[in-house]
Amino acid sequence: MTINILLGLALIICLVGLFFRFSIWFSQGLQPSPAPVTAGQRFSTAIGAVLAALFSSKAVLIVKSFFVDLLFQKRIFDKSYLRWTAHTLIFFGFIMLFLMHALDSVVTANFFSDYEPTLNPYLFLRNLFGVMVLAGLGIAVFRRITLKPQRLKTNPADWAALIFIAVIIFSGMLLEGSKISSYTTYQNMIEEYGSFDEEETKALEAYWVQENGLVSPRMKKPQPSELVASGMEVNSDSCMECHAPNSSAFASFAVKGVTRPISAIFGDATAVNLFWFLHIAACFSFLAWLPFSKMFHMVSAPVSLLIKGVIGEDNKQAPANQLTHQMIGLSACTHCGSCSLECSSNMFFESFQNDFILPSEKVQYLRDFAAGKVTDEADLKRLQEGLYVCTSCDRCTSVCPSGINLKDIFVAARYSLLEKGIPETSMLSHFSFPLALAQNFAGDHLKALKTVTDLFKKSFKQLSDVSLPMTLSRKQGVDNNSFKGCFSCQRCTNICPVVRSFDNPTESLGLLPHQIMFSLGIGNTELAMGSKMIWSCSTCYLCQEHCPNEVELCDIFYSLKNDAINKIEAGANA
Amino acid sequence: MKYAFFQGCNIPIRIEQYANATEAVLNKFGVELQVIPEFNCCGYPVRNVDEKAYILPSVRNMAIAERAGLDILVICNCCFASLQKARHVLDSDKELKDELNAVLASENLQYKGTVQIKHYLTVLHEDIGTEQIKSKLVNKFKDLKISVIHGCHILRPREITKFDDSFVPAITEELMQTAGATSLDWQGKLECCGAALAGINDELSQILLKDKIRGALSAGAEYITPICSYCHLQFDTAQKNLPQGNETNKLLPVLLYPQLLGLCLGIDEKTLGIVQNSTIESDDIERLKSLLGPPVEEKKRRKKKKVAA
Repeated sequence: MTINILLGLALIICLVGLFFRFSIWFSQGLQPSPAPVTAGQRFSTAIGAVLAALFSSKAVLIVKSFFVDLLFQKRIFDKSYLRWTAHTLIFFGFIMLFLMHALDSVVTANFFSDYEPTLNPYLFLRNLFGVMVLAGLGIAVFRRITLKPQRLKTNPADWAALIFIAVIIFSGMLLEGSKISSYTTYQNMIEEYGSFDEEETKALEAYWVQENGLVSPRMKKPQPSELVASGMEVNSDSCMECHAPNSSAFASFAVKGVTRPISAIFGDATAVNLFWFLHIAACFSFLAWLPFSKMFHMVSAPVSLLIKGVIGEDNKQAPANQLTHQMIGLSACTHCGSCSLECSSNMFFESFQNDFILPSEKVQYLRDFAAGKVTDEADLKRLQEGLYVCTSCDRCTSVCPSGINLKDIFVAARYSLLEKGIPETSMLSHFSFPLALAQNFAGDHLKALKTVTDLFKKSFKQLSDVSLPMTLSRKQGVDNNSFKGCFSCQRCTNICPVVRSFDNPTESLGLLPHQIMFSLGIGNTELAMGSKMIWSCSTCYLCQEHCPNEVELCDIFYSLKNDAINKIEAGANA
Repeated sequence: MKYAFFQGCNIPIRIEQYANATEAVLNKFGVELQVIPEFNCCGYPVRNVDEKAYILPSVRNMAIAERAGLDILVICNCCFASLQKARHVLDSDKELKDELNAVLASENLQYKGTVQIKHYLTVLHEDIGTEQIKSKLVNKFKDLKISVIHGCHILRPREITKFDDSFVPAITEELMQTAGATSLDWQGKLECCGAALAGINDELSQILLKDKIRGALSAGAEYITPICSYCHLQFDTAQKNLPQGNETNKLLPVLLYPQLLGLCLGIDEKTLGIVQNSTIESDDIERLKSLLGPPVEEKKRRKKKKVAA
């Protein structure tokens, strides 16, 4: 009775949670200036796309994806045999335990007419599946510990999931182990299924003590062999039909050493009840916890993979579906860290120490961002930097075992954040190049760029602001001292393809290359840093190559750019 | 000969054909390329922001190659320059070397400074040599006019890149000649394609790109051969995005050097991925193939005449 109430409660929490997670798929999204699409419209657009796929040639792709991506998990297989082994062990072990053991009255009993949980192969298989899950968990823990130096981040939530599953399996094994030893359980079985005379009862008990791990208050191992032999006869006449040898439950049989002392202290019946309660509580809490944790990927990852299987790489979808696809993707992340392990920007993470540079960490936070829960400006700024410090190599998208289109999510998220108007100085880096090529959100890009260039204008003095006379200063801001060799021959300016591109270069660029060397020469680094020229430099190195006195102009421009960004960032963080 | 194949971030996802064609050509001469999945970005994109953050990624890549016992072969100019720059800087700055090695130590990597960085053109030109290339030619171009755009970061600064004479580069000239193509003398051959400014100052980036397209066309180029992957993307993608087009009614088609040479070596155009260049159309490819002829045509004809006589 209580168990049914508890199960009902867990199920209700689970269903409410699932509904909550599903509603996020259709109500949240990442994009700058979101178009007004209601959740209802998104839901119907999604259903439309699903039906269109089901009733077209694409249904074949769904079937293929079901076997290849969902059951075989080819995406993990292609990347790492070890991880595939771990996941497959957990996946199959867990699913089989769920179907054959947790749902035995519904599934197993209907498929196999002779089903008895105490019979083989069921008794043995239950243990095998349990050990499979534990072995998989072992590999997963090993991976998380050994890959830490390669920037695999493990959150408490990841450990929680591993521990939760481990507790379910262990408590199950302990329960079975305590039952094996339990004299009360044994007596109940005798009462329920057997009718023996005293001789037979004694022999049977001796046999069970000797062979089946029973702990009897009146008998100890070893028992005389004739008694055991006649007990074996009784066993095969009356018990074996419904009860295989306990040793075939090899894992539970082996944990007797743990359960026996506990039984000795609390009594064997109490111990069985204790482990039963632990096992049931763990299973039910897991059920209730599932939609709120990364274990939701059991639902969302298959959906994400099927979508990927159907739409493939070209990713053409209705705009409403794009948002829904994003949110399904975000919910399918298991924080496995595969993306971060292969991220091309991994060394930028080491340099800037911003967790959000790693894709796996971005995803965790983007969920909150999509829900409107991130409001702290410092957090937003770090997230924005993390999104921008990305080489657009798309490796994360190609390795993701859940088939999440991370590239699309990150591009949309980048511009959603930039829209908030926090200046992003890394926009002035070559990370912008692939974005310019792809021309996604081109208008938003220009707007955000303007925020940064305006900030520069505000932060540094322009030549036109300087009132005469200019004074000589000893202060020098760049490490590269080669500018001292400049004798103003203007070769650099004359060869510069950028200077050549303007009708009135002084007006457009602020300072010309030789003038920048000059302003460094008189110690006015500020003026050099504020000139538009350094951000217009195409870094072609022609000036530097042609300088007759080996002034390293292009390198100096680079360091002026670095310094200018540092100064702005220091101002922003102060 | 075997190299660690450094493709960078752009080539595997956006210019796969460059990697495939290079590999197909080099394999013809017994040069093996090994893709190393652990390689990360070369660091180039972050150079405007932080110089040290720019150096570190290349150091890790070199350490990975050293662990594998291989020298690095690079296609992209910017990757090439970043790797050479990191090498150059750490050669004279032991303090920085120790500092960056300390970062790498957590994943059991160490940069010693033994690895060599080679551009694939250097491998073709020096290690294999034009004579050996000639001996393997099954075809040769005739009257093919090409504008080569070297890209900046392979040539300059010369003391870092150590690729070729930065004022009068000869490697591409000779390699083009070997395939029978004429590398035109044109304005823009050694200049910037504008890629470094894309996304930062698009207008200026486009001015520089259009300038090059105009220069190549007015010199009579039928195809443009960018060496750098950034130049390639400028001509093959950004050219199509230009707001007013490229001022002619036809795109200037891009043909990569290994694709051009590959055709002369008898490698099929599918392997070379010529159609994957988005500016090249089928009549450009037909025209290209029509310019192919036997490599020692004249001598053979003379011989035949003698026999006939």
